[in-house]
Amino acid sequence: MRDRESNYSAASIIEFCQFARAHGLAAGVQQTLAALEAVRAIGECDPEEFALTLRTALTSSKEEWDRFLQLFDAFWNSSGEKAQPAREGEVAAGLNRGQRRAGSQTLSRESAAVDASAEGEGKTVSGASAERKLQRMDFSQVPLDDLASLEELSLRLFRRMSLRLSRRLKSKETADRVNLRRTIRRSIPRGGDPIVLAFQGRKTAERRLVIFLDISGSMNAHSLFLVRFAYALHKYCKRVATFLFSTEVVEITDELRTADLPGVLRRLSEKAAGWAGGTKIGESLEDFRRRHARRLLSPNTVFLIMSDGWDTGEPEILAAQVRAISKRVQKLIWLNPLLGLKEYAPVTRGMAAALPYVDIFAPAHNLESLLALERLL
Amino acid sequence: MLGYVTDRALGTAVYLATKMHKPLLIEGHAGLGKTEVAKVLAAMLGTSLIRLQCYEGLDVNSAVYEWNYQKQLLAIKVQEKTDQTVREKEQHIFSKEFLLERPLLQSIQAAEASPVLLIDEIDRADEAFEAFLLELLSDFQISVPELGTIKAKHVPYVILTSNRTRELSDALKRRCFYHWIDYPDFEKELRIVRTRLAGIEDGLGTEVVRFVQATRQLNLGKPPGVTETLDCALSAMTLGKHRLDVQTVEETLGCVSKSMEDTLKIKAAGIERLLSQ
Repeated sequence: MRDRESNYSAASIIEFCQFARAHGLAAGVQQTLAALEAVRAIGECDPEEFALTLRTALTSSKEEWDRFLQLFDAFWNSSGEKAQPAREGEVAAGLNRGQRRAGSQTLSRESAAVDASAEGEGKTVSGASAERKLQRMDFSQVPLDDLASLEELSLRLFRRMSLRLSRRLKSKETADRVNLRRTIRRSIPRGGDPIVLAFQGRKTAERRLVIFLDISGSMNAHSLFLVRFAYALHKYCKRVATFLFSTEVVEITDELRTADLPGVLRRLSEKAAGWAGGTKIGESLEDFRRRHARRLLSPNTVFLIMSDGWDTGEPEILAAQVRAISKRVQKLIWLNPLLGLKEYAPVTRGMAAALPYVDIFAPAHNLESLLALERLL
Repeated sequence: MLGYVTDRALGTAVYLATKMHKPLLIEGHAGLGKTEVAKVLAAMLGTSLIRLQCYEGLDVNSAVYEWNYQKQLLAIKVQEKTDQTVREKEQHIFSKEFLLERPLLQSIQAAEASPVLLIDEIDRADEAFEAFLLELLSDFQISVPELGTIKAKHVPYVILTSNRTRELSDALKRRCFYHWIDYPDFEKELRIVRTRLAGIEDGLGTEVVRFVQATRQLNLGKPPGVTETLDCALSAMTLGKHRLDVQTVEETLGCVSKSMEDTLKIKAAGIERLLSQ
């Protein structure tokens, strides 16, 4: 099928879909076919409409939607053979020159990386073995260059994990089956005929997750990744609440629900920088309990506390609080980045005091350990 | 013309979805007119709109069909004394007369023309329902064991909306065209206000839009959508105001802010300052 402009031939569209896939869009064969059909259905169109058509067919989330026009530009404009179509409307308005140029530059660097690994050089971080290496690296030791790849990798893997979790965190629905016993009872006054049917009980309540994250100085390198972890859980499970603590307790559930992860992280780093002084885990837990326990803690809740246990508060308070919380919830999980170190033993008084009341004590120092949580939740 | 202001992207998406009979998934924050799209489409095409409102725990019974058990039991009782054979009685009990048709079944039974099927807030339903929906969207037929398979004579135009409270399954997303509705820019929102509230004064309309746009920069828990803008404008008009001053805003703040925290944030940012932006 051909259009007036030979630039928009079926072959080039397919090539563009492959290009988009290489840059992170999930569009598969089904969507490529849909794109081809859509272009045919639109018929003659100007470049803007062409871009809009492809965008509707090939994207499937806000993130992909936002990036699409940049990719479109990079593909159809960077290869010299395509003529510069007259630009009107939102396609041009959306991208000013500088952004477009910057976008194309990043993309060409990325596509160079993709090419390199395709040729089997394998030095770039996008190779599978390099990925696994990144997964095992302690967050505090990731070199600056690899930080971006680790972030991208973690987002991707957390997303998949959350999808799986969101299926499990829901309890099984009890089918609306007829409760025979109660039906028969009700039929007695009606001469034995089951006119009124009685049904089985209601669904049990959905499980809830409460995350309590230490962002004091000692947790610095790890906490940003742990916030990403919490963010991913928020996006895909509905009943998650997240709190940050150091000397005070701040709820960030609503902030994490917005889709703007970089903004959230930036604001959190600014906020956290303002918190000086040592961590008081026990006192923070007490504060949390006083304000939120009634709303959030129930036998359906899993309480996840992420901290290295370095504490300047009273160990008795910490132990008492952990004990109180663990009695009210289904499971109390303590994630400690220090557990990743081979030589670590929980000798700080606070940690040691709280340990008996912790149901699961697990490491959280690298991507691998966080992904392993799926089993535990 | 029908009171819905749109842009080229949405128009293209709806056109493609309608022409190719493919479902269209519209995602976006609350109050931005996602549901309206279906209503307007139905009006434009002159067909009926069938709406399925999704919620947590929505199951096949509430979405597709259910037998009217009580009526069936009574009919059994009534039939006891008649001469019909068991076969005939059974066929009578399991006939359309006793079938409660819910939206999804209704949508494939339209007699004259394809209706518009709006599946609203699909993100509130669970994945089991999504899987069932996927099957329906592929074949457009429903099997009722006692009645047989019912095929659609006129395949409905399907529009799904989602508030993005959770990620939808990949299979469903692949099946649909996609459109993301974002907050409108100043000109567009002003046009919407002027279209929907025809009698509104220029000054008031501009100030309301400017105010709401300013509040959206405030990182509220529930940023106001276009619905809230229209509410605010209408309230101001109803109160007989010609301009939006601090007092009017305070009186109508409930239109724009939907929680105590948001109200505090707006007040902390200074209503006067927001009005003057």
